[in-house]
Amino acid sequence: MKKLVAVILAVLMVFTAASVLAEGGKNIPELTKEPMTILLWDIATEGLGKKVQEDAVNRFMEAYPNIKVEQVHQQNDTYKSQLQIALSAKEGQPDMYIHWGGGPMAEYYKSGCVNDITELFNTYDHPDFIDAAVAQSSYDGKILSIPFGGLSGCDIFYNKDVFAAAGIEAVPTTIAELEECCEKLKAAGYYPFSLANLPRWTGSMYYMYLVARHSGNAEFDAAYDGTGSFTSPAFIYAGEKIQEWVNKGYFNEGFNSMAPDNNDDRALLIQGAAGMMLHGSWQVSGIKNDDEEFYNESLGTFRFPIDEEAQAAGVPQNVEIGTAIGNGFSFNCWLDPEHTQVDEEKLKACYVLATQFYNDDIYNAAQVEGGGTPSIKGFDKTDDPNLKVVIDTFFNASNVQLWYDQYLPASVTEVHKDMMGELFGLTKTPEEVGQAQDEAMAKAREE
Amino acid sequence: MAKKTGMAKRDARSTAIAATIFLFPAVVLLIVYMVYPIIDTFLISRLKWNGFYTAEKINVGWENWTTLINDPLFWNAFLHNVILMVCSILIQIPLGMALATFLDAGGKKFNIFKIIWFLPYLMSSVAVGFLFYYLLATNGGLISGFATLLSGKRTMVDLMGSSPQALYAVIGVIAWQYTPFYMVYFIAGYSNIDTSLYEAAVIDGANRRQYIFKVAIPLLGPIFKTACTMSLIGSLKYFDLIWNMTQGGPSGGTELMATYMYKMSFQKFNMGYGSAIAGGMFILITVIALLFQKVFVVKEDY
Repeated sequence: MKKLVAVILAVLMVFTAASVLAEGGKNIPELTKEPMTILLWDIATEGLGKKVQEDAVNRFMEAYPNIKVEQVHQQNDTYKSQLQIALSAKEGQPDMYIHWGGGPMAEYYKSGCVNDITELFNTYDHPDFIDAAVAQSSYDGKILSIPFGGLSGCDIFYNKDVFAAAGIEAVPTTIAELEECCEKLKAAGYYPFSLANLPRWTGSMYYMYLVARHSGNAEFDAAYDGTGSFTSPAFIYAGEKIQEWVNKGYFNEGFNSMAPDNNDDRALLIQGAAGMMLHGSWQVSGIKNDDEEFYNESLGTFRFPIDEEAQAAGVPQNVEIGTAIGNGFSFNCWLDPEHTQVDEEKLKACYVLATQFYNDDIYNAAQVEGGGTPSIKGFDKTDDPNLKVVIDTFFNASNVQLWYDQYLPASVTEVHKDMMGELFGLTKTPEEVGQAQDEAMAKAREE
Repeated sequence: MAKKTGMAKRDARSTAIAATIFLFPAVVLLIVYMVYPIIDTFLISRLKWNGFYTAEKINVGWENWTTLINDPLFWNAFLHNVILMVCSILIQIPLGMALATFLDAGGKKFNIFKIIWFLPYLMSSVAVGFLFYYLLATNGGLISGFATLLSGKRTMVDLMGSSPQALYAVIGVIAWQYTPFYMVYFIAGYSNIDTSLYEAAVIDGANRRQYIFKVAIPLLGPIFKTACTMSLIGSLKYFDLIWNMTQGGPSGGTELMATYMYKMSFQKFNMGYGSAIAGGMFILITVIALLFQKVFVVKEDY
């Protein structure tokens, strides 16, 4: 008898497996056959991103003809405020929307505008995201978003011709060498660094990296949770170093009023007025688009140099700055305006769209083609020499610290950015900068 | 007391009905888009709320308002608004008047100037912002270019990146954008002056200058005052160009009340406090405008 049950069970299991295989071996939720409309907000207003993302949505609608996806492309610069206005209304809220993770994602979740998808994520298929991407899509132990933008590192891009003209033979590997290199560039009549610091997150990259090299993640984490402070040694070191560099003329004039959105910083590097630029790795495809010849002949990339003293003291030198998800989709599917009951059917549809159509082979191939790197295991190889540095740096990191201006709570982010303006503008001392951030952080923690 | 006849009664009634019908759409629009938002702003200003419909709203009473009164950043922004207001009135209105006088004296043959000078006002603030962003750019901008040319060596002028230059640079751009508006306003004023007054002045032996200073400009008085009031209110609630050019930077050097409100409400997720700033702006602007009316605008009759 027992044997018979076992046989029946085995047969049943084979059948179930076969039915799953019939769907292409995928374990994905079955979606409703009823008509449904999904309102999707993204920021793909132009270029390759728009094409790839619209393509993903169209493939989804072909596979599920009863589901209509309304894709609304918002302008990047005003997106956050547009989203907030939409979420402040009782009706017409987007069902799925893009964000950058970090503080704002937590804010949306705490405000009741994000579905907890931990269960869906653990039950059904999804791309094999790298651990850092899953971590960055989570808050409070819950998975809240599906990454789709690809990872971004933060590295130094340099003009090989300028380096040669200034007599620099090897790229710097320590901060002392970096400073030496700056002196040589200055002596030869170049700006060592090209910086467009109007929105402040560009200057923040220098601050974040100097802190990370001096203390790993320890001091930032402590300042974040209140056991430490933004006036601790690494922050003071970073602030002083930056002001020393400003005073020595390591940055181009007028950096505080230049905007990276207009690519003013990139232009200085390509034109050969500046030697180096610390920036996000999206610059790789940006520079290639702007001037392919320059990209092939003259662009080089190296990771932010190490702090020898800190290394001697045992501080890990492979904490890197960047984002593991680039963008993520969060879902906002509810049956009632007060968001007490989840609209399971719609949520499943959104989940399938984000995991099986965004992030599928076609989508990922297009991403790679455009110089991006999906946050999925197996995409850590490339033939492009610049991208290789970015990817190697990223995947060899012991930890990837998300940009402060996305990691910190929204109210602290603004203070942090203001302070980067003051720090680079020499209008506040590193201590004052740290105190202002401490104050904002303490206030945010109270809430 | 005259008794109303049936006809007059009917007249009065139909006037009342017509008035109600014609006023109804305007009143509805005013209530929906003016009265309700203003009241709602004051209600929200008593909340601790991040702006999301489903988020918790906590009544904190007057806490936002006491914070506002003691907020040095807000008063700093207000100071910038006042500087902008004074400079706007002192630059835009005399300049607009001078241009209008010139055009009025020249008549039809100066129409080409009229068109060219009016162009800046037709451009959107975003376009103006971009235009001057490049014109004033430290690297490759016009100012830096001239400085390099004049000094003979590479000179960089960082107008937008340092205080207080940035504020005055922006005030200059705003003047460039709005002077044409006042120019047109004064041209309209000039054309409203009865030609018989001009003829009378000429017959009395006045020359062109005497006519302008003794007859035309005094007659423009009421227009002048209205223009000042408009400029005053406009300057106090100014937002778009500053937002496009500096976003209130460098380090708050060009922060205005409106940009501060925007940052609080939409970037720091603090809708309650943002509304308190908006409420504060409403009160300050109303008080200043009323004071201005009281002091300068006296009903005159010619």
